[in-house]
Amino acid sequence: MSHSRNQKWREVGVLISLIVLGLIMVSPLIWTVMLSLKSNGELLRSTANAFNPPYTGENYAAIMANSGVFRWLLNSAFVSTLQTLGVLILSSLAGYGFARLEFPFRNQLFLIVLFGLAIPEQAVIITRHQMFADLHLHNTYPGLILPGLAAPFGVFLMTQYFKAIPKELDEAAMLDSASRFKIFWKVLLPLTLPAQATLGIFTFLASWNDYWWPLISATRADMFTLTVGIASSQINFAQTSGLGYLMTQAVFASLPILIVYIIFQKYIVRAVAGAAVR
Amino acid sequence: MSALDIRNVTKAYGPTTVLDDISLTAESNEFIAFLGPSGCGKTTLLRMIAGLETVDSGQIHIGGQRIDELAPGERGVAMVFQHYALYPHMTIRENMAFGLKNIKTSKTEIDARIGEAARILEIEAFLDKKPGQLSGGQKQRVAIGRAIVKKPDIFLFDEPLSNLDAALRMRTRLELAQLRRRLKATMILVTHDQVEAMTLADRIVVIHGRKIQQVGTPMEIYGRPANRFVASFVGSPPMNFLPVTVSGAKAVATLSDGTVFATAITNLPESRSWELGLRPEHVRVNDTGVSAKVEFVERLGERTLIYARLSDGTAITAEDVGLSRLNMGDEVHLSIDAQAAHLFDADGRGYHAETA
Repeated sequence: MSHSRNQKWREVGVLISLIVLGLIMVSPLIWTVMLSLKSNGELLRSTANAFNPPYTGENYAAIMANSGVFRWLLNSAFVSTLQTLGVLILSSLAGYGFARLEFPFRNQLFLIVLFGLAIPEQAVIITRHQMFADLHLHNTYPGLILPGLAAPFGVFLMTQYFKAIPKELDEAAMLDSASRFKIFWKVLLPLTLPAQATLGIFTFLASWNDYWWPLISATRADMFTLTVGIASSQINFAQTSGLGYLMTQAVFASLPILIVYIIFQKYIVRAVAGAAVR
Repeated sequence: MSALDIRNVTKAYGPTTVLDDISLTAESNEFIAFLGPSGCGKTTLLRMIAGLETVDSGQIHIGGQRIDELAPGERGVAMVFQHYALYPHMTIRENMAFGLKNIKTSKTEIDARIGEAARILEIEAFLDKKPGQLSGGQKQRVAIGRAIVKKPDIFLFDEPLSNLDAALRMRTRLELAQLRRRLKATMILVTHDQVEAMTLADRIVVIHGRKIQQVGTPMEIYGRPANRFVASFVGSPPMNFLPVTVSGAKAVATLSDGTVFATAITNLPESRSWELGLRPEHVRVNDTGVSAKVEFVERLGERTLIYARLSDGTAITAEDVGLSRLNMGDEVHLSIDAQAAHLFDADGRGYHAETA
C-alpha cells in the first residue's frame, strides 16, 4: 500500500519536473511568438511586457506585404529537400556497394570516405568557393545544393547498416529469382528505413540551419536561404527599428522545422537515443 | 536418370581446399543427409548445389541438366536456411509469394499454392502476420512453406532444426519426416546432428577432411562404418577403440592384458597395428569379464553409462541397467560382445563381421 503510494508520488514528481523542463525549453519559442505580436514602439521601451496586451498583427501584415521571407522560405525548403533526397539516394547506393559488392580497391575507397568525416568544412571552403565561382555556380540552386551531397557520414552510416543485414536475406532472394536491383530495392532498402529516417532528419535539419555556405554562395537576395535572409534583415546591432518584424521573421523561419519535428518526433527521439546508446 | 548428380566437384578458398573431388548421386524422392563436424564443407557443398557458391571444378546436374553455371533462381531448387531468412518487412503471405511473383506466376496460381502449403503446414492463421510476430517453430514452418510453394525439384535444408529448443526440435523432426512422405520430393539435409541424419535420411553422406568418408543407409553407417572417423563420429556415446593384436583367419584379438576375443571378422589383410571397435551397448557390466575401474557414472534413466579404465589405462565406455548401483571408484567386470566388434587397421579402414 505505502509502496504503491510512494511510487505514485514519485511519478507525480517526475511529471512536474518534466513539465517545468518542457516549459523552460519552449519558453524562447513562446517569447518569440509573443514579441512578434508587439509594436516596434513598445519593444523599444521594454520587452518585459511580452505576456501582456495590447497585441498587434502589424508585423505579420508587413511580412505579407513586402519581404523576401517567402522567397527565402521556398529557397530553404527546395534546397533542404533536394539535398536530403540526394544524400539518401547516394548514401544508400554507396552503402549497398561498400557492404555487398566486391570490386577492386573497395576498402581503400571506403577509407577515403572515412577520411572525409575528419575534414572540417572550414578547411575546404575557400577552394570550394573558387571552384564554384569558376563553374559559375554561385547564386544558383545547384550551387547551394551540390556541396551538401558529399555526405561521408551518410555513406558510412548506410554501409554499416547494410552490413548488419544478414546475407542470408540476399541469398534467399537470389533463390527466389530476384535480380540484384530487386534485392536492393524490395528486400534490403525497406529494412534500412530506420537509418534512412535518421539520416534524412539530420541532413534536413543541418541543411535548413546551414548559414555559412549559403552566405558565401548566394549573394543575390532572391537566392538567399532563410538563415542568410534573416541575418541580412539585421541592419545594425543597436536595432532601433523593425524589432517585432525581426521576431515575425524568426517565427516564419522556425515554423517549418517545428512541423518537421512534430511529424518525425518518434524517429528523431529514436535516432538521438540510438546515437547515444551506440 | 538421377535427380542430383555431383561429378568430381572441388572447392577451395584461397590456398585452403574445403572439398576435394566430390562425386555423389541422389535418386528421385530420396532423402539425403550430409553429416559431418563443423567446418567439414557440408554446407559449402549444399550452397554449391543452390548456386550460392561457385564450383571451382567439376559439374552438378539436376534432372539430367547441368546447373552449376545457372543462376540460383534457375536451378529448380528451394532452400530452407539455418536462420530462416524470412523477409522481415513482408507478411508471411508476401514472403511466400515473393519468389513466385519474380517468375511471373499468375495471381490465382500463387494464391492456390500458398493456400495449399499453408494447409499442409498449418500456418493459415498467421499468413497476414509478419515474421517478427512468430515463434521460432512457426518461422521454421513458414521457411519450409516458402520452399514448398516453389515446387522445386530438390529441397535443400541447411541445419533447419539447429535453432529450435530440444522439445521443439524433436517435434519438428517428426513433422519433417511426415512432410517428406507427403511431398515426395528429393531432399538434402545438412546437419552435424547424427540423430537428425539417422532418423530422417534414406542415405547419409559422411563428410570429413575435404572428402566423402562414406555413403550409406543409416544402419550401414552405424553398423559397418567404413573407417575409424565414421565409427567415432556416428553413435553417442562414441565407439570404444582398444589397441589389440590380431591373429588367425577368423580374427582373434588380444588385449594388452592378455584377454582374448574371437571376433566374427574374416579375410583381414596385413597391418602394422589394429584397434578393436566396440559400441558401448556391446560392453556390459557383468559378474565376469575384463576388469576395469569406474571413473564416472552417467545415469540416463533407462540405462546407465559407465566410463571406466582398463588395467592398461585404456578408457572404455560401457552400459549398465537403468538402476545401476555402481559408483565412481568401483571395480567392475565388463563382458564384451566380440561378435559385434569391428576392427580398424593402421590406416583407419574398418573391417566388420559378415553378419553385422
